[in-house]
Amino acid sequence: MSLRIELAGHPLDLRADRSVWWPARRTAFVADVHLGKDQVFRRSGVPIPAEVLDAELAALDAVLAGTGAERLIVLGDWVHAAPDDDDGWPHAVERWRRHHAELELVLVAGNHDRGLTEWLERWRMQDWADGARLDGLALMHEVDLDAPPAGLSGHVHPVVRLGPRGDRVRLTAFARRADHLILPAFGRFTGGGEGLERAGWTFYGIAGDRVVDLSGVRPPLRR
Amino acid sequence: MSACCPLDAFLAAQGLEPQAFQRQAWAAFDAGASGLIHAPTGSGKTLAAWGGAVRELLDSPGHGLQYLWITPLRALAADTARALDRPLAHAGLSEAVALRTGDTSAHRKRKLMDQPPPALVTTPESLSVMLSYADAPQRLKNLRAVFVDEWHDLLDSKRGVLLQLALARLRGWNPGLRTWGLSATLGNLDQAAAALVGVDREPLIIAGDLDRPVELVSLLPGAVDRFPWAGRVGIRQLKAVIDRIEAAGTSLLFTNTRSQAEIWFNAIQAVCDWPDRVALHHGSISRDLRQQAEQGLSDGRLKCVVATASLDLGVDFSPVDQVLQVGSPKGIARLIQRAGRSGHRPGGTARIVCVPTHALEIAELAAVRERLKTGRVEPRRPLRLALDVLAQHVVTAALGGGVPPDALFEEVRTTHAFADLAPVQWQWVVDFVTRGGPALEAYPAFQRVEAVNGLLRVPSRRIAMLHRLNIGTITADGALSVKFRKGGSLGSVEERFLARLRPGERFVFAGRVLELIRIRDMTAYVRPAKSNKAQVPAWQGGRLPLSTLLADGLLKLFEDFGAGRLPASAEALAAAPLLALQREVSSLPARDRLVLEQVTSREGSHWFVYPFAGRLAHEGLAALLAWRIAQQTPVTFSITVNDYGFELLSAEPVALAAEDWRRVLDPADLERDIVASLDAANLAKYRFRDIARIAGLVQQGYPGKGKAVRQIQASSGLIFDVLREHDADNLLLDQARREVLEAQLEIRRIRAVLERSVEQSLSLHTPERLTPLAFPLWADRLRAHLTSEDWQARVERMLGRLERDAA
Repeated sequence: MSLRIELAGHPLDLRADRSVWWPARRTAFVADVHLGKDQVFRRSGVPIPAEVLDAELAALDAVLAGTGAERLIVLGDWVHAAPDDDDGWPHAVERWRRHHAELELVLVAGNHDRGLTEWLERWRMQDWADGARLDGLALMHEVDLDAPPAGLSGHVHPVVRLGPRGDRVRLTAFARRADHLILPAFGRFTGGGEGLERAGWTFYGIAGDRVVDLSGVRPPLRR
Repeated sequence: MSACCPLDAFLAAQGLEPQAFQRQAWAAFDAGASGLIHAPTGSGKTLAAWGGAVRELLDSPGHGLQYLWITPLRALAADTARALDRPLAHAGLSEAVALRTGDTSAHRKRKLMDQPPPALVTTPESLSVMLSYADAPQRLKNLRAVFVDEWHDLLDSKRGVLLQLALARLRGWNPGLRTWGLSATLGNLDQAAAALVGVDREPLIIAGDLDRPVELVSLLPGAVDRFPWAGRVGIRQLKAVIDRIEAAGTSLLFTNTRSQAEIWFNAIQAVCDWPDRVALHHGSISRDLRQQAEQGLSDGRLKCVVATASLDLGVDFSPVDQVLQVGSPKGIARLIQRAGRSGHRPGGTARIVCVPTHALEIAELAAVRERLKTGRVEPRRPLRLALDVLAQHVVTAALGGGVPPDALFEEVRTTHAFADLAPVQWQWVVDFVTRGGPALEAYPAFQRVEAVNGLLRVPSRRIAMLHRLNIGTITADGALSVKFRKGGSLGSVEERFLARLRPGERFVFAGRVLELIRIRDMTAYVRPAKSNKAQVPAWQGGRLPLSTLLADGLLKLFEDFGAGRLPASAEALAAAPLLALQREVSSLPARDRLVLEQVTSREGSHWFVYPFAGRLAHEGLAALLAWRIAQQTPVTFSITVNDYGFELLSAEPVALAAEDWRRVLDPADLERDIVASLDAANLAKYRFRDIARIAGLVQQGYPGKGKAVRQIQASSGLIFDVLREHDADNLLLDQARREVLEAQLEIRRIRAVLERSVEQSLSLHTPERLTPLAFPLWADRLRAHLTSEDWQARVERMLGRLERDAA
């Protein structure tokens, strides 16, 4: 189910459900959830089923249940766009929040997390500054890919490709360079973008229900 | 009748007089009929169709826009407009024909609305955009006739479906509207005509100049016994081809693929004495470069243009002295069409020089020659029930002034494409555009089309804008435009090819060797490369499979050879030694005999099977048989296919007797097994790309429309996954699966092969070495790995390989 690594001396579990579990701090991390993205599509006439949101929240439930986390830190892009007044989904998130009343919920805001002030309050979500530190690990949404500090981030939606042409599989992945780890996008309704290559990054791929060390493979990151 | 004089005068000025079929078409037009005119290129069918409108327009000028001329290629639109203008100008009516395509500026489009010309040349997509304006009924209700050029080319595509729907809309506003189509000869003219005029009308079919002979000349190699058994480029015939080009004034050299065209163009340029007088023309090259090539050929500046199917169309494309065809034409209709590019005079002979690229193509040409004598050509099957196109059309109709759903349903059912549309399917489409899907609560805040006072309407201007941008995208594929860094567009190349290249790597395109600088915003920036070593892009598609008509002709040739009745043509004589060898070491396939060969080599054990059903069907068939075999004995096969048959290669020998083959060739459960055998879900996902775009599920990136569109961009693959998980009954998913079977794998032909095999004798051989039929498959190997493994197993296998490599 998960793979134990050490980041700047801290043991962390990389989980096949796209989250990171830090047992010593009873803290789980996710990145790039993009809640409400389906709604943005529907408003523009693209019929994406609303079950996407339910599935996303259920996946978060599973992370919390599987780890027993007391704190959940979202490394940016919690939402896809600021909610409209008559949107239903922020209320669904609020209901979800009520089911986890004891949980400490933290956002390190990403580029999509704008215009949320009122909702962060209703969701009882702390707003941590970009670069906030926890035991020497810097938490951020977007990292400088050429000079990553020890810490955790999101934004890139890393993906790794295996196999020769014609027989290729694509895996969602964690990307690592030195003591920095980029989380995969947690939201299932995310992906795509232009390829971007950077030297020095290695990958942990999510293959079904396990996480595999792929440090031998050096494929492109995707944003 | 004085009204016929302008046409007589126009023709007389060129030293011609009206032909019988032209007079027939003009009279039918006068009488208010609709129909289809079929004739070879250059036989005067444009004037046959247009003449009636010319007389009518000169006689009674009318008001507003009265005639629409639809052309499939916007590159042809300007030439067409000029050709239509000529007889009118000759009679003193100037500026009566205008142009509206995707390239027309917004300013010009507005002007065309304010001061409509009597006649407009446009494309199917541009017509759909016209239908999407609120005042469309007022502007288009005075139309007297619509003409559809190159209908055979639109017929079997989704663009044809879009046009059928648009025509139904126009006929709904004006029941007296006449529809006339122009087409090359087809094997299913009745169906083509019905699709054009709608199923509620009786079309007239007018044939013109059908006796125009096609003269086939094959450029046979001197020593056939040393001619290669395989290959696709045929470049060893270069010298002979150049001699031919030099002997004629102007030549068109057709190839079957863009890659072949690039290779031939470079080869000719490298060795001929007139490198400046050769040009390249294919569908990925920019419009400007293509127009330069067309222009150069018509004014005699160029000696030769190397072209692909991109030059198969074109009404008034000026005739050349000589047409050459590299490789088999793969179908009779295509050969006739291409031959028609030469000697464009009514009554003249169309002549085509065929250049075989390997020995079996000589046999194909022998079969072509025999088939030409029968006068039969291939059909093109119009598509049915393409719900993605229907969904797009419903939004278009809702934009175009609003429409009651019941009336639209009746109207849509007058088209051939939707004549069998069931009320539940219609309801699904209406739900899809009004609510997002059948379950109301599943799509909150969905906004596209609304039913207001019994009319379907589009309330949001932004959605209207997005929809209009999307209408034109039926033809777009995942292509990147190729540009010089300092400006200057060369055309477009498939994303899949360019994505594999790294900056600094070289490739051949538009006849040049280019170096990739970077890819950004759907554009590949390049500079000329110094070295001339480079990869040639392999474009997807474009390679038509061998037609059933020609494949059966080939089998008949084999049978005739076996019976000692080989036709006395040069090609047949040249092919005879090869056929004799095949018969000696194995046997020759026939309509009542399926040949299977097992050969062992260092690579493993090869099974070769020759159903002669074309490469697409062979792909599906090979996967199916491999899967069925693997159900009994776990085995992994590599598969190779060509137009004649396929190869199954395994590391360990697989012993299969005739009874075993009978079992795996069983026609029962074909559909179920083929879905299981191929990664059908993945194929459908790929197919879904087009469907999602047409139905408005994905938005293209548009320059200048950045933010509005970027926020709702998602790959069609992602949407496919989301729908499959949360809306599994979505009919568009079902359509994707259907298209995989019907269009991509030609399941009709697969079924025919299996059903035929029941009656056939199975002829199993174990030749010592590769036979003439096996060799091209072996040499041509494009390995596609096929196993019965699932996704997880593939990942494990790759991880295992990585671990082995690391150890």
